Amino acid sequence: MKPKKVLVVDDSKLLHRIFEIMLRNCVLVHAGDGVEGFERLGQHEDVDLILLDVNMPRMNGLEFLAQLKADAKRAHIPVILITTEGKEADAERGIKAGAAAYVRKPFKSEELLVVIAKINPGGAA
Amino acid sequence: MTVERPGQRGPGAEPGGEALNQLQLLLDRARELATALQETLPAGAQTPRSSNPDLAELQARLLDLESDRTSLSQSLAEHEQQTGRLMNLYVATYQLHATLDPNEVQSTIAEIATNLLGAERFALIFWKGDGSECEVTLGQGLQDDPSGFFAGGKYSGGDPALDATLTDGQLRIGPIEGSAALATVPLTVQGTTVGALAILKLFDHKPTLRPEDRELLDLLAAHAASALFAARVYSATDRKLKTLESLVNLLRKG
Repeated sequence: MKPKKVLVVDDSKLLHRIFEIMLRNCVLVHAGDGVEGFERLGQHEDVDLILLDVNMPRMNGLEFLAQLKADAKRAHIPVILITTEGKEADAERGIKAGAAAYVRKPFKSEELLVVIAKINPGGAA
Repeated sequence: MTVERPGQRGPGAEPGGEALNQLQLLLDRARELATALQETLPAGAQTPRSSNPDLAELQARLLDLESDRTSLSQSLAEHEQQTGRLMNLYVATYQLHATLDPNEVQSTIAEIATNLLGAERFALIFWKGDGSECEVTLGQGLQDDPSGFFAGGKYSGGDPALDATLTDGQLRIGPIEGSAALATVPLTVQGTTVGALAILKLFDHKPTLRPEDRELLDLLAAHAASALFAARVYSATDRKLKTLESLVNLLRKG
C-alpha cells in the first residue's frame, strides 16, 4: 500500500524530528513556515495530511489555513493544528476556519495517532 | 494514557498493533465456534457444561487466549509509553548537539522546555563572569512573572530553590516552599554549575510535571550547558580565526 504523505509546517526543528519518528511509516515533507508550506504543496500535489503549527514567522498557521481553504484545489486536505493551551482561542479559530482537529503541546505519539486515525486522511488505511 | 483498540491506529501504526488485531479476530472466531458448538449439542449434553470435556477444554483455551490478549495489550501500551520517553530523550540530545551555533542551541533548549516539558514560562540564566549575579540569556513569558526576580534581564537572587540549585548544582522539582519555580535545573560544565533553567509555569492542561519529565530535566542538566559552552567556544574561536585571516591577507597585500 502506498504510504501516506504528510506535510509538516512548523518552525521547530525538534518537532520535525519527533514527527519523523512518530510517523515513520509515512512520507514526510517539511516546511519551516506557511510560505514554505505552500512552496512544498506546489512540489507535492499528493499530500494526504497537513500538521500545522500556529505560531510561525512570515506566515502563521491561521493565515496558512485561511489561504489553504480558499484554494479549491487544496481545500480538501485535512489539517491538524499543533497548538498550546495558552493559545486555545487560536485552536478554536482554526477549527472554525476548517482545521479537522488540533493537538496540544506537549503531546504523546498515541494521542496524535488517534487523532490522525479519526480523520483517516487519504481514505481507508 | 490512551489505550487504543487494535485496528484503530493511524498511518504510524506499529506491527504489534496488527498482531493484536489478528489475535482479536481469532478470539472472535473461536467465540463464534464455541457458541455454535453449544447450540448444536443436545440439551442434555450442555448441562452441566463441565460434563462435556471438549467444550470445557475449548472454553478454558478461550479464557487463556483472552487473558493473553489483555496481557499483550497492556504490554504494548507500556512499550509505546517507553518508546515515547526514549524518543523524546533521543531527539532532545540529538538536537542539542546538532549545531555549533549558540543561538540555535538556545532555541533548542527553549523548544525542549515548551514542546516536550510543556513550559509556558521559563528562564535560562547563566552566572556573569564576576559571579555577582546571573544574566537571563533566554526567557519565555517572563513579562507575566509575578515574582519580578528576572526583571531587566538579570537575576540577582531571591528564589530559594533557584538560589540553592545555583549553589549546590542539584536538580529540584517542586512544589518547593517559598519558591515559585516548578523545577530548577542546574546547568553544569565539567562539574561546575554555570547557570540554571527555571521552569516557572506549565501550560494549563498540564498541571504538574510527570515522573517521565525528570529524565528530560536530567538530560538538560547534563547536556544543555555543555552544548551551549561548546558552541560559544567554537563561535569565539571561529571569529578570532576569521579576524586573523583578514589581518594576514591585509599584510600580504601591503
